[in-house]
Amino acid sequence: MPAGLTIADMTVRFGAQVVVDGIDLTVAQGEAVGLIGGSGSGKTTTALAVLGLLPATARVTGSITVAGGEVVGARARDLRRLRGRQVSFVGQDALTALHPLMTVGRQVAIPLRRHRGLSGRALIMATAALLEQVGLPARTLRAYPAQLSGGQRQRVAIVFAMASRPALLIADEPTSALDTTTQAGVLDLLRSLSMRGEHRTSLLLISHDIAVVSQVCARLVIMRQGRVVEQGATTRVLGGPTHPYTRELVAAARALTAVPGAA
Amino acid sequence: MTGWPDRLGRMGVLACAVGGLAVVVAALPWLRGDDPARSVLRARLEDRDPDPAALAAVRSELHLADNPVQGAADWLTDAARGEFGTSWVTGEPVRDLLLTAAGVSTSLAGAASAVAVVVGLALAAPVVWALSGECRSPGRCTRGVRVAGAVVAALSEVALAAALLTLVAVRWRLAPVAGWFGPSYMLLPALALGVPSGGLFARLVGTAADAIAGETWVRTWRAAGCGRITLTVAIVRRAVTAAVPQVAALFMGLLGGAVVVEEMFAVPGLGRLSLHAALAQDLPVLQGCVLTLVLAGTAAGASGIAAQRVLLGPAGAAAALAPAGPARPRRPHRRTPLPVAAVLTAPILAGLLRDPHGVRLERRLSGPSWAYPLGTDPVGRDVLARFGHGAVLTIGTAAAVTAVGLIVGLVVGLRGSAARVGVVDIVNALPFVLVGLVLAAVLGPGLLCAAISAALVACVPIAIHTRSLATEVRASGYHQAAVLAGAGAGWILRRHLLPAVTGPVLAYALTRVPSTALAIAALGFLGLGLGHDTPEWGAELAAAIDYLERAPTLVTAPVLGLVLLGVLAGSAPVELGRRTAL
Amino acid sequence: MTLLTATGVTKRYPSARRHPFGRRPVRTVLDAVDLAVSAGERLGIVGGSGAGKSTLLRLLLAVEAPDTGEVRFRGRPVRPARPGRLGWFRREVQFVAQDPYASLSPRMTVRDIIGEPLHCLRVPGDRPRRIDELLRAVRLDPALASRLPSALSGGQRQRVALARALAPRPAVLVADEPISALDAPVRVAILDLLREVTVAEGSALVLVAHDLAAVRRACTRVMVLDQGRVVESGPVDQVFHAPRSAVARDLIEAIPRLPGEVAR
Repeated sequence: MPAGLTIADMTVRFGAQVVVDGIDLTVAQGEAVGLIGGSGSGKTTTALAVLGLLPATARVTGSITVAGGEVVGARARDLRRLRGRQVSFVGQDALTALHPLMTVGRQVAIPLRRHRGLSGRALIMATAALLEQVGLPARTLRAYPAQLSGGQRQRVAIVFAMASRPALLIADEPTSALDTTTQAGVLDLLRSLSMRGEHRTSLLLISHDIAVVSQVCARLVIMRQGRVVEQGATTRVLGGPTHPYTRELVAAARALTAVPGAA
Repeated sequence: MTGWPDRLGRMGVLACAVGGLAVVVAALPWLRGDDPARSVLRARLEDRDPDPAALAAVRSELHLADNPVQGAADWLTDAARGEFGTSWVTGEPVRDLLLTAAGVSTSLAGAASAVAVVVGLALAAPVVWALSGECRSPGRCTRGVRVAGAVVAALSEVALAAALLTLVAVRWRLAPVAGWFGPSYMLLPALALGVPSGGLFARLVGTAADAIAGETWVRTWRAAGCGRITLTVAIVRRAVTAAVPQVAALFMGLLGGAVVVEEMFAVPGLGRLSLHAALAQDLPVLQGCVLTLVLAGTAAGASGIAAQRVLLGPAGAAAALAPAGPARPRRPHRRTPLPVAAVLTAPILAGLLRDPHGVRLERRLSGPSWAYPLGTDPVGRDVLARFGHGAVLTIGTAAAVTAVGLIVGLVVGLRGSAARVGVVDIVNALPFVLVGLVLAAVLGPGLLCAAISAALVACVPIAIHTRSLATEVRASGYHQAAVLAGAGAGWILRRHLLPAVTGPVLAYALTRVPSTALAIAALGFLGLGLGHDTPEWGAELAAAIDYLERAPTLVTAPVLGLVLLGVLAGSAPVELGRRTAL
Repeated sequence: MTLLTATGVTKRYPSARRHPFGRRPVRTVLDAVDLAVSAGERLGIVGGSGAGKSTLLRLLLAVEAPDTGEVRFRGRPVRPARPGRLGWFRREVQFVAQDPYASLSPRMTVRDIIGEPLHCLRVPGDRPRRIDELLRAVRLDPALASRLPSALSGGQRQRVALARALAPRPAVLVADEPISALDAPVRVAILDLLREVTVAEGSALVLVAHDLAAVRRACTRVMVLDQGRVVESGPVDQVFHAPRSAVARDLIEAIPRLPGEVAR
């Protein structure tokens, strides 16, 4: 099976500072992989490198291929063609992630028109259908981002990213700005999207919270200070973590979620 | 903090401002602390001792009230009916004078606005286009355009008008020199007035676009593979919405500039009318002019606020208003100031070593030579010497004024009570020329008048800057933590506010010195500042204009000095967060 | 002994949405909430976003006044006052903020930050020694005392914030989501530290969180807020094992669990 995303020996430097230090990472087509790390571990930098959206001060070496296309050193035009069609992105804060002065309907229509060539009535129908799929009523079409709740906004952001039917979706801390009840709903949505076979969207879910990621992903990659310290199947990593940092993460997650009295 | 301006809304502040100004204007004849009838006689017959009979005759002729309250009330009642009395000098009805002049000024303002929009779009478009592209380091990609915009924005109307007059009208004879007899007479004044405003407009939109390009949604849209044109349109829409209320303030600036430009090109508009009224102490005419100008500015401000509401639509939640990009705008070019300052300082130092007062009539109006590198003036004085000594007057006054402004601005900005904040916003929208006109009518023209009006205007941006920094501190988590840890106002001021505010505000005040110097020069040019015999740059330029046909090189020194000052002023950061009441 | 009480506090705010020229509609954020914190007790307040947790905290800390109802400390009414007043109350009730990156002044050293309440509240005693003692209590190296916050990690900063709050030996410590800005392994450490130091210093704890799991680890009693009302309150174990309200059930259900762990 061709890989959805292959990162080989990638290093990102900001001046003399090495933020990501020679990491290797693959996401097979249709696979959901969790990328876990604390603040400063280089996980967001990795995501932006895959999208070719790092600031100009960053120097990227190594190789990143998305659906067979090389990202490192690609021309601006090729990058624009890659984004949306092959790889898409959902960030943490959905309030600022959408244009504040445009309705949800008009924003979601943009990738639909560009990547799927829809227009007119078909465009409106498709937009409404997408919103319905994530459990948003049709009147959301006419709403502005500020008029929605945090959970609703995050759903819109996911629709915006998925409208172009990308081969790979990168979600960077998509639930950490939400409260626990809303977080559960958004995680369910991501899980169902990643399991739906028809579009075969691969998922790279980035979070600091191993408990959140392990609910959605079958494989985990743990980063610390710019390096990958451990990776493997979720059950294996949770059952027998080998790196001390992973052990610390798993112990912390268990401490918060374990049944009281049993601990 | 919700004080009265917040509760009233910006429209309310606007109404209060206009009301207050109307009362001040109405009371003008009495503010001089002098009998208005005496002023009338002085205005009409320069040096005759007023006798009681003449005074009484004037009083009954002009229906002058005995006390300021009655007089102001009378004037306001009349003004509300569209009656502004008669000119003290010519006896013509003020309303007729105003109507004629307003017609001229309106067509000039229209033409200047068109120029401003064209220049603004031409300068802003490349910035926005670069930002929407793959350029991931906006500061670098758009530097050229940014510097151009900043310099154009900072060109003083005085310098630009003088340069256009010298080159286009006198040297190349492409346009009429002065007067108002047809459309071709509109060309140069409209350019002089419109180009700097266009540069400022471009700077406002460009700075807003810059901040907006850093917002998260731009990344989301890019990541979804949005087209470049779609993204450009979306950024422009957001930038214009953020910049619209400031465009209104820009229009007020246009009114101020109109006084200078109309005087330079002898355009019989409102600006020139009010200037001559102020210089001749013809108070009824000045009252009418100032009120008309302020009302026009207010109308522009109100339409700006209304336009923003329409543009924002139902999305107008507070969170959506301010761009969430970098809080502190970057400077257009960090390295510009030093070489420019060096180029400016060298001739000033050279001039300071020479004698600016030696009159040698036999050498009058001579061109550049070894003995007189910049030539001589109409009475044979050394232009280089006058340039150097004038710089001390112009820039030195500006530095002193800025120092006063720094102290006042710090105090006002740190006190931060909502009521004072409203006042600051109102003063911020007033062009210094209008303030200068009113002050000249009350105090008489002179260094004091120029310095006070420049100080009034100079302390305002400093106060606003201080206020925004202080607001940042007051909104911070550590400020809240200090309050909850039991800290009192004194402790918070000493340990949290002053350390956070003093350094940046000092640096900011330094960058404001050149623009204050430009203001003082403009007032000097209009004859509201130092007298025409002092080497102050504005006064010097006004004297040189009279000899434009015979010695065009004479205007070069002050114009170049003002342009270089403009470049220095332009390299100061533009305030995006600056909220204006008008 | 009951220390901090709120009786029937209600708070309304103008709604964020408004018509261009019309009056703003009013939104009730807190609706007749009662609360009592006794000495040595550890109370958790949980609820989703918009439940009114932060508003309740602002009322309890006398940052804002309730529209109706009253906040009292040891029976004495507490009303918001200008900075520097209300010293008697500030000495007894201290606060740990959510974001340790914002709540420490970037221009003050750790020593000055911890010493701030000691100085402002005129707490008697040997200040340098107290600061050393506090640093040890929150398990920070005393050598860090001369550092600026920018040299510290998120967890270390939150420890400094905690030391500052403990400095005047308050009777009640109020913490607003103190772990939500921190990385996962640090979260448990800070929660445990909160529990241990409040026990050691004899302070009561009011912990606000959106996460029931955090409250369970640190608190003895829990209060569930939903849309400005108290929907359930009781001992932590009781609410966790036999929730009576749907909101509490949802909150328990939503705790992210590692695969293989059973719910409840």
